[in-house]
Amino acid sequence: MGSLFRSETMCLAQLFLQSGTAYECLSALGEKGLVQFRDLNQNISTFQRKFVGEVKRCEELERILVYLVQEINRADIPLPEGETSPPAPPLKQVLEMQEQLQKLEVELREVTKNKEKLRKNLLELIEYTHMLRVTQTFVKRNVEFEPTYEEFPSLESDSLLDYSCMQRLGAKLGFVSGLINQGKVEAFEKMLWRVCKGYTIVSYAELDESLEDPETGEVIKWYVFLISFWGEQIGHKVKKICDCYHCHVYPYPNTAEERREIQEGLNTRIQDLYTVLHKTEDYLRQVLCKAAESVYSRVIQVKKMKAIYHMLNMCSFDVTNKCLIAEVWCPEADLQDLRRALEEGSRESGATIPSFMNIIPTKETPPTRIRTNKFTEGFQNIVDAYGVGSYREVNPALFTIITFPFLFAVMFGDFGHGFVMFLFALLLVLNENHPRLNQSQEIMRMFFNGRYILLLMGLFSVYTGLIYNDCFSKSVNLFGSGWNVSAMYTSSHPPAERKKMVLWNDSVVRHNSILQLDPSVPGVFQGPYPLGIDPIWNLATNRLTFLNSFKMKMSVILGIIHMTFGVILGIFNHLHFRKKFNIYLVSIPELLFMLCIFGYLIFMIFYKWLVFSAETSRVAPSILIEFINMFLFPTSKTNGLYTGQEYVQRVLLVVTALSVPVLFLGKPLFLLWLHNGRSCFGVNRSGYTLIRKDSEEEVSLLGNQDVEEGNHQVEDGCREMACEEFNFGEILMTQVIHSIEYCLGCISNTASYLRLWALSLAHAQLSDVLWAMLMRVGLRVDTTYGVLLLLPVIALFAVLTIFILLIMEGLSAFLHAIRLHWVEFQNKFYVGAGTKFVPFSFSLLSSKFNNDDSVA
Amino acid sequence: MWMLSALPGRGPAHLQRPLLGPASHLGILRPAMTAHSFALPVIIFTTFWGLIGIAGPWFVPKGPNRGVIITMLVATAVCCYLFWLIAILAQLNPLFGPQLKNETIWYVRFLWE
Repeated sequence: MGSLFRSETMCLAQLFLQSGTAYECLSALGEKGLVQFRDLNQNISTFQRKFVGEVKRCEELERILVYLVQEINRADIPLPEGETSPPAPPLKQVLEMQEQLQKLEVELREVTKNKEKLRKNLLELIEYTHMLRVTQTFVKRNVEFEPTYEEFPSLESDSLLDYSCMQRLGAKLGFVSGLINQGKVEAFEKMLWRVCKGYTIVSYAELDESLEDPETGEVIKWYVFLISFWGEQIGHKVKKICDCYHCHVYPYPNTAEERREIQEGLNTRIQDLYTVLHKTEDYLRQVLCKAAESVYSRVIQVKKMKAIYHMLNMCSFDVTNKCLIAEVWCPEADLQDLRRALEEGSRESGATIPSFMNIIPTKETPPTRIRTNKFTEGFQNIVDAYGVGSYREVNPALFTIITFPFLFAVMFGDFGHGFVMFLFALLLVLNENHPRLNQSQEIMRMFFNGRYILLLMGLFSVYTGLIYNDCFSKSVNLFGSGWNVSAMYTSSHPPAERKKMVLWNDSVVRHNSILQLDPSVPGVFQGPYPLGIDPIWNLATNRLTFLNSFKMKMSVILGIIHMTFGVILGIFNHLHFRKKFNIYLVSIPELLFMLCIFGYLIFMIFYKWLVFSAETSRVAPSILIEFINMFLFPTSKTNGLYTGQEYVQRVLLVVTALSVPVLFLGKPLFLLWLHNGRSCFGVNRSGYTLIRKDSEEEVSLLGNQDVEEGNHQVEDGCREMACEEFNFGEILMTQVIHSIEYCLGCISNTASYLRLWALSLAHAQLSDVLWAMLMRVGLRVDTTYGVLLLLPVIALFAVLTIFILLIMEGLSAFLHAIRLHWVEFQNKFYVGAGTKFVPFSFSLLSSKFNNDDSVA
Repeated sequence: MWMLSALPGRGPAHLQRPLLGPASHLGILRPAMTAHSFALPVIIFTTFWGLIGIAGPWFVPKGPNRGVIITMLVATAVCCYLFWLIAILAQLNPLFGPQLKNETIWYVRFLWE
């Protein structure tokens, strides 16, 4: 079997990296993704580690790059994403890159600030022009008649002006003009009226075009207003109210010439500003375009650099402080590659002393590493979602590749639906290199990751649909039905035989709405349909009676075989971990228990199918009752299935009853006997001498005494002797719990497999209902206007098929198939207590702009 | 083999009868529509899945995925063969027949036979 059967052997290696070459070596390792680093500085906080300064520098660079990307996106410049990812920058280039980026950032910020200021200025000038233009129409005077309006002389000394004073000063009006937001006009007017009580005249008009508000940047409608007031106090109040309502107030020209001058000046200024603004924007765009070319590779480079420094932070220094020591988990198959990567790194940095590695023996459980390709990855993920396998135990994913789609298909079994699912998955698979599919969001991504699973599920569903003879709830008659209706008529039989049988003729058929075919009449049943279920059952009203019996028996048969296979896989585990006693004391009693009870059930099912036929149908015993009677020993004996059934069943029960105590007590007693009786078998611990003297971690390593069954260097089964105490009570308790779980589980898990029947029944019925309610109604309508009705009916049928039958039922069957694997199959042999091997690899870093995850 | 003796015990004439036309079933001629043998499908399917499950693994090219492909072939063959076998054995000796509506009886009689 390939490496998918078991996880790979791992070893703990120590890398000695010279301080000059550490960065390059790690860069080479990251490109290849071979090893997983262990954190040697766990008790040091993040801020006290050696390379904190470098990490901060990387983060600063990342911040600048994020700002750059933001600006580029705002200017709508396309960002090219390269195909290949560039390697991490060598240390010499880092400083240069940092300077470049910082300069770029400063420049960008300055130019943007200037641009904003210019725009604001421009807006104000535009508003002023509008205001001048509009207020010109307010004041309707003859040209020669224009008096001059002066501002009031400031009479601050007299805070109170009475009306007599004003009359003496003559009718001198003051003006406040400006623009106000459309929404605030009414409130503004009301406030003015309340405060100034009629000493103001307000005229306003709406501006036709909407202008941009310089502060908020929104485009809103403005009103130009002109307030003429009389009196200085009123003037102050008006000005305060204008401030309060955030009006943009501009100086109002007194004479017509002044107005004209101001307008001309404004126009020239506006023209100038436009040109300057254009030039600034062009320059900005140029700078951003140039930056956009290299920003993608910069982002990747900085990410890689940061990851390398994170890993460097996990290494410790040796006594001389010149050499970095890293501890890595490495698969044994990759040791050569690891050596080569170290050499490459050393060579690139041009160091005189190369970095090297050294394997350390350890008692810790290594992480689990299973090599998968794009096809097997999906199935491995399904298994890992329940629990990552323990080190070197059998990996159920290898078998899940076929059994999972198969059990799904048993529950989904429909030829048409399966074919649609297969086509959908084929579409995904053929377009898997399309870039848009790689970056889609959550739900689509889940479908994409499971494309091979969907493909196999669809394929198997086509097969089971063929066997169930169910295609969009209709059956296909490929070989001709085995059931013959004409043979039930009296006219088909010679008169001699007619008297013994109940036969039909035309009047019988006309007067009875439902009639049942009798297989004991000769000629009615002519042999089983060669591929699947006979198509006549689709036309029958007692279809479910037949199908239920068939599907229930099928579910039980498939379930017991699946579970027995699980127990057998457990035998492989025991063989691998050199615990042969487990095979004799645990696996064999388990197998006997399962097979004597449920294997016998399967035998009874097959026996009844083969031996009992229509002639003997009256005396055919019910399997369920026979099975129950096997345990109950009833006084009234029913006719058994075969002669000698009693004795066979008694033998089987005795075997089962004997295997139960062996299962409960065998292993603990054996281990106790080993511990007491075989005391001096000379357990060699020579393999564990300490090699490293310098690091403190060795103490912590030895301190982890793992009682797990993961150590394959121990020859015999007395490993429990090597640990602190032999806890008989605990072992007994564990075994008793395991045995009870197993025995009760056998019964409940077998019943649990009946969900295969239940879901396939639900699917078939839903499919049938959809057809009856939609298509039959559509097809029954008369041909004259039936076509018009048929089109929307077919559309609705297709939509409901996809949503209800494919998606909902598909998800449901998927879920139940997963449950059957995780619980019923895997609890027969799978421990799943390991940790996953996560290598230090740059390909695991996200290469998108939006995600900024750090490799911790 | 005792399995073959469990075949439906009709007269000797029902096996391998040639197919007659749909209208020639009148009279007391035994209608010989589709007489299905049991042995033939068993042989065909056993050899088919046997080829895939037992002979197939020998032809898988050497490579890193050889083990996976062999396991897949064997598992597929076992699962599919078992499924088909259960389906055909369940129908081999039916204890009861389908219940049809009289319209269906009329339809089947005149269109299928």
